[in-house]
Amino acid sequence: MSEQQDPPRTEDVDGQPLVEVVGLAKAFGGVEVLRDVEFTVPTGSVTVLIGPSGSGKTTVLRCLNALETGDAGTVRIGDVSVDYAQHPGKRVLGRLRGQSAMVFQAHNLFPHLTVLRNVTEGPVVVQGKPREEAEAQARALLESVGLGGKADQHPYQLSGGQQQRVGIARALALQPELLLFDEPTSALDPELVGEVLAVMKDLAVQGRTMVVVTHEMRFAQSVSDQVLFMDGGVVVERGEPAAVLTDPREARTRTFLQRVLNPI
Amino acid sequence: MGLLLALVLGLLVTACSGGAPAGDASSGGADPSLQKIKDVGVLRVGTEGTYAPFTYHDPANNQLTGYDVEAIEAVAAKLGVRTEFVEAPFDSIFASLQAERFDLVANQVTKNPQRDATYALSDTYTVSDGVIVTRADDGSITSLADLKGKTTAQSSTSNWAQVAKDAGAKVEAVEGFTQGVTLVKQGRVDATVNDNLAVAEYTKTTGDTSVKIAAKTGDTSEQVFAMRKADVSLRDAVNTALAQVKQDGQLTQISEKYFGQDVSQGEASPQQEQPAQAAPQSTWQLIKETAGPMALAALKATIPLTAISFVVGLVIALVVALMRLSRVGVVSQLARFYISVIRGTPLLVQLFLIFYGLPAIGLTFNPFTAAVIAFSLNVGGYAAEIIRAAILSVPRGQWEAAQTIGMGYATTLRRIVLPQAARTAVPPLSNTLISLVKDTSLASVVLVTELLRVAQVAAAPTFKFFALYGVAAAYYWVICLVLSFVQGRLEHRLERYVAR
Repeated sequence: MSEQQDPPRTEDVDGQPLVEVVGLAKAFGGVEVLRDVEFTVPTGSVTVLIGPSGSGKTTVLRCLNALETGDAGTVRIGDVSVDYAQHPGKRVLGRLRGQSAMVFQAHNLFPHLTVLRNVTEGPVVVQGKPREEAEAQARALLESVGLGGKADQHPYQLSGGQQQRVGIARALALQPELLLFDEPTSALDPELVGEVLAVMKDLAVQGRTMVVVTHEMRFAQSVSDQVLFMDGGVVVERGEPAAVLTDPREARTRTFLQRVLNPI
Repeated sequence: MGLLLALVLGLLVTACSGGAPAGDASSGGADPSLQKIKDVGVLRVGTEGTYAPFTYHDPANNQLTGYDVEAIEAVAAKLGVRTEFVEAPFDSIFASLQAERFDLVANQVTKNPQRDATYALSDTYTVSDGVIVTRADDGSITSLADLKGKTTAQSSTSNWAQVAKDAGAKVEAVEGFTQGVTLVKQGRVDATVNDNLAVAEYTKTTGDTSVKIAAKTGDTSEQVFAMRKADVSLRDAVNTALAQVKQDGQLTQISEKYFGQDVSQGEASPQQEQPAQAAPQSTWQLIKETAGPMALAALKATIPLTAISFVVGLVIALVVALMRLSRVGVVSQLARFYISVIRGTPLLVQLFLIFYGLPAIGLTFNPFTAAVIAFSLNVGGYAAEIIRAAILSVPRGQWEAAQTIGMGYATTLRRIVLPQAARTAVPPLSNTLISLVKDTSLASVVLVTELLRVAQVAAAPTFKFFALYGVAAAYYWVICLVLSFVQGRLEHRLERYVAR
């Protein structure tokens, strides 16, 4: 693990980052996929995770949302802290999950529900919000991602980019402290990538705290506050995007970036 | 099927009588059987209802009637109690007696040593001769000995089956005399053995000249009422009453009404003349008269039986499917075992076990309930696998998406997974439902008066099997057509959110 001299904005104004991961480790059937992962995410910042496939980026994201449980290490988001070594119960994991919301690569919208219902399902069914209030909020959110007119359609009637924007609205409706994006544009046709990235950029500008797993180097460069490069289950390098992406210190980072930026 | 039926029943009867408080448990004082019946004021009588002229439904008004029916009514009157008839196929009539579905069998039960040892038998109320019926053009059988190597059709538990077997014949099991004689006519068997009275009734009703009485078996048989072995006080009272109705000429009167002679005692010989009954009905007339009661049976038995069993069965299936998907080994194994038992045993056997078997351990259900339980458990086993597969067909991402927005297991299942699984499950579940509609016809063996049973009852005294079973088939078909239509609509509805 590389020592960083001056990690960018690792501290909030009050001295506490929103997310703090310490010593996170995870193995699947004896194969180590995460080892001693550590990082912090300050409130209102955007963190991008990059790295080759199988490097553990997505697993880190899933551990933050408790879709996956780590074997060791602690994850703290806001005032909820989970020590995976203590085999936390369902209730604690549920509270951790409540701090964040996930946008999936394959969007995973509910095909049998309308766009509006997809967005209101969490607030109404889980959080117990009155339907009227939840629908008003959902319509506003759909408007903000540019889908004001699609509320009563079903997911199959939308394009891939529109579906992913509904996925973002669904996550936002939960009013989470933290937004997680798991390769949100990887499954899209190239001409649809832009509309999704634009929405994400808007969110960053609004000051949302986000952790994004992506291969969109342009997005990382221009929007993020910090970049983590992962390989083989460890964080190899971490720093401001300008530093990590244009002048990496580690050889592995350099090799990866060369492959991504000059594929041919 | 008949053989299997007989086998299962045989086992059950043995099991029941083994566990029942039979024998000489109360040999000292009077057993309570008579007192119980007098207290309730009702004698429950088991009878076939398909064996004219002894016990059958009068085609004119569909009332249960016949020589046996009137005879036991006369006896009951002397006892000062009412009669309540329970109709059961002959092959399950003794099992039903032991399971206390009724108190007494009035169905031309022929006295023999084996029955004498197992049941409390009354004095004789009919005497008849055994005869062998063959096709009219069949000259190969002229005596009982000629049955050797031939095939006969008999009720497997009737004494005539024993007579035929003892003579060296192969016995095909049928339900009652009318089916037996039909098989003879169709050339599927060589002969059927029965008593001369039943045969005379058949020839009289149908005017059928294609069969004949080829020979007498040489034995005279005495018919008696059968009761449970322990019910000695009831038997004694029945005998006393029987003696009274014989003495005051009532029984002779009943006998002459049905046979034109006194068959209640002594030598009997069939008389071919006197058409005591109305002229045979035309087939159309019969269908017209039976169509109503059959529709009623469909509405009152077949359809509710199907609907209730299917709904209950789906609930069982969902629970079993979820158990099967459980990560807890024991739970999953339990579900596997259940599915394996249900799918690995015949539905008919499941029905019999629940209706005739469970009373042995003190669980007695009325016929409809027993049928609902059996069909529900059966649907549960088959539909569990359908539902399991349908749940597995919902992508993992749907579970995860529901989980990340904070839904628990039950909520995810109810709101996200099952609505999507339904699309996959509807076509195979419709198959299960349509099979169930037709399987309900099996309920007739546990005394549920459903559609097929009504057809059987109507066909028995008139011998018009083809017409009436044809009508029954049409009813089943119509029900299934309606269900197929509903299935189509439902599938269309569930497909609406999927890209085409």
